[in-house]
Amino acid sequence: MTKEAVIEVIKKNIAANSDDIDAASIDPQKSMKDYGANSLDMIEVVSTSMRELKIKVPRSELTDINNIDELAVKFLEYVNKGNG
Amino acid sequence: MADKALSFSLADFFFNDSPDVLTPPSDFQSWIEHPKIQSAMGLFGQQLLAAPRADTEVLSSFDGKRRKVINMTSYNYLGLSTHPEVIQAAKEALDIYGLGASGAPLLSGTFDLHVKFARQLAEFKQKEDCLLFSSGLGGNVGAIQGLLRKGDMFVLDEKCHKSLIDGGTLSGAKMLFFSHNDPVSLEAMLEKCKGKRVLVAFEGVYSMDGDLVRLPEILKVCAHYKAATYIDEAHSTLMFGANGRGVGEHFGLEHDIGVSFGTFSKSFGGVGGFVCSNARIIAYLKGYSSPWNFSCAPSPPVVGGLMKALEVATRDSSLRDLLWKNVAYLKKGLQDLKLDLGKSESQVIPIIIGSSGEKLIQFAYEIQRRGLFLQPVDFPAVPADSRRFRISVSTQFTKEQMDTALNIIEDVIAKGLRA
Repeated sequence: MTKEAVIEVIKKNIAANSDDIDAASIDPQKSMKDYGANSLDMIEVVSTSMRELKIKVPRSELTDINNIDELAVKFLEYVNKGNG
Repeated sequence: MADKALSFSLADFFFNDSPDVLTPPSDFQSWIEHPKIQSAMGLFGQQLLAAPRADTEVLSSFDGKRRKVINMTSYNYLGLSTHPEVIQAAKEALDIYGLGASGAPLLSGTFDLHVKFARQLAEFKQKEDCLLFSSGLGGNVGAIQGLLRKGDMFVLDEKCHKSLIDGGTLSGAKMLFFSHNDPVSLEAMLEKCKGKRVLVAFEGVYSMDGDLVRLPEILKVCAHYKAATYIDEAHSTLMFGANGRGVGEHFGLEHDIGVSFGTFSKSFGGVGGFVCSNARIIAYLKGYSSPWNFSCAPSPPVVGGLMKALEVATRDSSLRDLLWKNVAYLKKGLQDLKLDLGKSESQVIPIIIGSSGEKLIQFAYEIQRRGLFLQPVDFPAVPADSRRFRISVSTQFTKEQMDTALNIIEDVIAKGLRA
């Protein structure tokens, strides 16, 4: 799996969790907060994305993540490990 | 997961993939049964065997022994939970009214003492009216759920209590969180709310950090955007302000805040919550605040005790004065140990130890073995890089107890962090 494919999964879930965001318009260099997501929305997006990618990353490893691209890098690390 | 069980926390099992609703997530069971997690979890829910005084007794989970401890965890800030006058008043109310109210407030649960106490609280908080709740959490949930609707905006400080978030979720309003105590971030959020009904919520004292709301700056932004305001004074009522009315009074700005919420389980020494505001919105809330109108009214002996607690705490400033004296003494002792106390400005003093969950648990057990009941606060309740202990200072602490506690903290935490 590529980082781009992981980003697509995250973007899809951000859009699915919001009434007014189109997945195609999401810039991975921005954070979910920039798109109006609150912390509850972020938990939802992270959880649904991990479920889809069949990985489990501890939340404690996500606290320093600054944007969608960094989140994808962390997810990809676990995808390549074959889970968490 | 077995090799990194401590990396995981309750935050990782919120969503349940199990096909059966009555079965937890498959990996939750293996996680919770891991010896390290069992050891950590053993610290929580330990039994107190006596009143939550400064000196109490716990049944330690790790060795099953009864242990006399100095209690720095209970919220009995002013010692009112065990104040003789409060206990006597509760007993008298019990004799007159019995144990429970036996009804919801709108039907048969409203007693004369509920009405009297609500009036006293409204007067105390200098608002027109007040609603009493059987639960503090229920008070916040009920007020927010009663005030907001789908299509409204609820803007909260990111460190606000779960009860405010749950109220927001239940209301259907869209929630936006602003960076902690940051007026610039609040302004950015309020820009997104233009044209909508909006409520901004913040706390007087933040419960995990002990810092105060930057009230003048926050209110200035709210006024600019004509946003309604809500302050949660759970950890500040009876302690802050010249008359103990809270952080609103402390800053001289209480009249600029729309709703003032407080709990009875902290400084009051009982249980429950109350919401004060203008009389018209309180009347409206009675129709739409489910934890009020679908819950049994507060227990009469508790209300009797709380009324006395209010009287004792406000007839002079002696309890507050003693509390701040103890806070100053303890804080200086902790600062001398070069511990990270965050930005605490109140009777809530965190000792931030950093990111190691293992150290946190190890210190917690050792502290209790040495005779100090000081509970750890772990991720996700606080950020993963700032796990901590949280001291609740009480008027009941003696100098000897504080010195003993400081010695234990020095030996276990200060030296442990340097090792």
